[in-house]
Amino acid sequence: MPFTYRTRSALPIERSSVWIAGVGAVSGAGPDVASTLDAFWNARRSPASTLPFESSIACPTFQVAAELATLPPAVNRCRSLRLAMKAVREAMAEAQIREFSGDERVGVCIGTTVASQLNSIPFYDAYRREGNPPLDAVYDYLHANLAQGVAELLGVRGPRMTIVNACSSGTDAIGVAANWIRAGMCDVAVAGGADELNRVALAGFWSLGVMSSRPCAPFDRERDGLNLGEGAGIVVLESASHAKRRNKKHGMELAGFGAACDGHHLTAPHPEGRGLDAAIRTALSQAGVTPNQIAFINVHGTATTENDRAEGKVIARIFDSGISLAATKGYTGHTLGAAGGLEAVFTVLGLRKGWIPAGVGFENQAEDIAVAPVRQRTAIGGEFALSTSLAFGGNNSAVVIRRIG
Amino acid sequence: MKSEIGDLLAPASILGVGAVTPLGRDLQGIGKQLGRSAAATAAHLRVSDEFLSDPAIGGRMRRADRFARMAAVAALDSWAGASDACASVAKDRVGLIVTSGFGPHCRGFRFLDGILDCGDSSALPTDFSHSVHGAAAAYITELLELRGPSLSTTDFEIGFEQAVLLAQCWLDQRACDRVLVGAVEEIGEVLIHCASRMLGGEKIFVPGEGAVFLTLGPMDGEGLARLEATAPPPQVDLMMLDVPANPSPATDQPTIAARHTTTFSPYFGHSASSSAFQLLGGFLSLSAGRPLGRLVQKASPAELGAVDKVATFKPSCDLRAASLLMTKA
Repeated sequence: MPFTYRTRSALPIERSSVWIAGVGAVSGAGPDVASTLDAFWNARRSPASTLPFESSIACPTFQVAAELATLPPAVNRCRSLRLAMKAVREAMAEAQIREFSGDERVGVCIGTTVASQLNSIPFYDAYRREGNPPLDAVYDYLHANLAQGVAELLGVRGPRMTIVNACSSGTDAIGVAANWIRAGMCDVAVAGGADELNRVALAGFWSLGVMSSRPCAPFDRERDGLNLGEGAGIVVLESASHAKRRNKKHGMELAGFGAACDGHHLTAPHPEGRGLDAAIRTALSQAGVTPNQIAFINVHGTATTENDRAEGKVIARIFDSGISLAATKGYTGHTLGAAGGLEAVFTVLGLRKGWIPAGVGFENQAEDIAVAPVRQRTAIGGEFALSTSLAFGGNNSAVVIRRIG
Repeated sequence: MKSEIGDLLAPASILGVGAVTPLGRDLQGIGKQLGRSAAATAAHLRVSDEFLSDPAIGGRMRRADRFARMAAVAALDSWAGASDACASVAKDRVGLIVTSGFGPHCRGFRFLDGILDCGDSSALPTDFSHSVHGAAAAYITELLELRGPSLSTTDFEIGFEQAVLLAQCWLDQRACDRVLVGAVEEIGEVLIHCASRMLGGEKIFVPGEGAVFLTLGPMDGEGLARLEATAPPPQVDLMMLDVPANPSPATDQPTIAARHTTTFSPYFGHSASSSAFQLLGGFLSLSAGRPLGRLVQKASPAELGAVDKVATFKPSCDLRAASLLMTKA
């Protein structure tokens, strides 16, 4: 049955606007939004050839070199939380929110992968050898729940959720936070994703045979795998009524969100992108827009053979083949749980600035993909843009962002 | 005065319940055992492997570990229990939320064994792919052919409460027609070791494992009970507390008025998802019409009556919507 896009007046939910009051980003592309934009403008990427930990695996990664603020001792060793807080503070500054008062209804929804696992190799090695290792790593892990950590550092008591949907976690977190605001469960939500580089994740993706030993090439004919990265991408969402109460007008709206699972395979995407197709159509429908109203898509684009092929098929099926694609993992690497948060921020930046960056790493059109990232920095017009995520476990999600005025 | 979070959403209707616990997998059998006195003498409470072999999951989960299997059998039982109420629901209208504190950490340590024994580049990919939190949800969506939104979440304190709250939200906003929401926890050697050292060797907290899944729908038809995540309710018939295995009446007394106060921790053990297991005990108490579990505070004979309204409560948690309120349908 052909999919029918609903108009705004026929939306299935009681829809109140969810504004994007501020964005923050830290990644291998730059320690903040301004430096990220500079890297994008100049098509400059900076993969590191050495790892921040010992490993026999040699591959490029995208690392955050910037100094991160010191957090209270109990949580200061959690790098993912420190990355998250850097982006949170930047997003709050843009939203002109210095601190939250205890009276405000503020939710926190953060996606991650690494911070959700007790994957300290030194701790486990000592446990195996001595049976009685120091428990510092365990205490660190117990303090590393990102939503709880961010909520406690901000002193807020609204709904909180740490989403561990692998590589779609950040996008899902933004969608859930938007659900909360639309339901009236909170007035403001801090949402996105954060993840640090970690030896276990590196070994894991290497074992799956999906990593490249050279800087990645999303959607390219010669693509041969992903590069890992680290970072955080955060948006501050705000209900229209709360923004009005504090006399703020924002230029961006979180207009639609969709999520759907493949129900197909533990690690591989459905070959026809079944779940992604449904997620995109749901997001478009919730936003009340048709595919031809989308100015550009910030694609998931991991540069793995299977992911890019499935994603490309879906995009070619739903959109015109000339749709502009921003493939930003060439700048950041695959930041796992942070990716959806970062790419939502990049989507906001694309709409705000009126251009999207060149897809670094992309050179040749792939035979098995009918669409392609832009080769040069490209001006875009239009009101709406889309960001997509695919993940382990067959999770797929998409957000539609709208530029106002 | 500001509305509490839970007050903004309609309660959900519980259409099906599935669980696998140290007491077994059959709800009636679990209920009978919860009616008897229990002494939590074990150092930890595990789920027997006999409850995890099921022809319905057979070959499709041959690579799966106990974490994913516990989640799958509880989810399948919950869905089967709700089959009449779900028969006409399209699979793309069914959402899934799986929450866990520690996730599949045993499989994670197996992957670390691979790294330590074979090197970073030679550990087994199957161990890695099963070590992520979302593995259980992936199996459930595949087994039940679900096509709606699927979320895995983690929290050491209120994961299940927040999962129920989000399920209510999805149903309220008509993003889904049914939501399968569950909690799963596994205990392994390392976790037991850490817990015993971190708790100072005291045996008052007994690590437990298992899975509890609920199939939820909107309040527009028949259901087994109604459920909502809420601020602590002012008055209930039965309050379920996640308290030490040998509680005293003075332990963590809530400020909520309840005719009876009970705990199911001596039967199910303690975990990051304890409230899911307390809720299971509450559901079985509703079904039995009397309080089950180990009573911390018993009503006087004059106050006796049917148990129609039960709630979980976390004395240590000051977040809004940190209680689960369940009432008889």
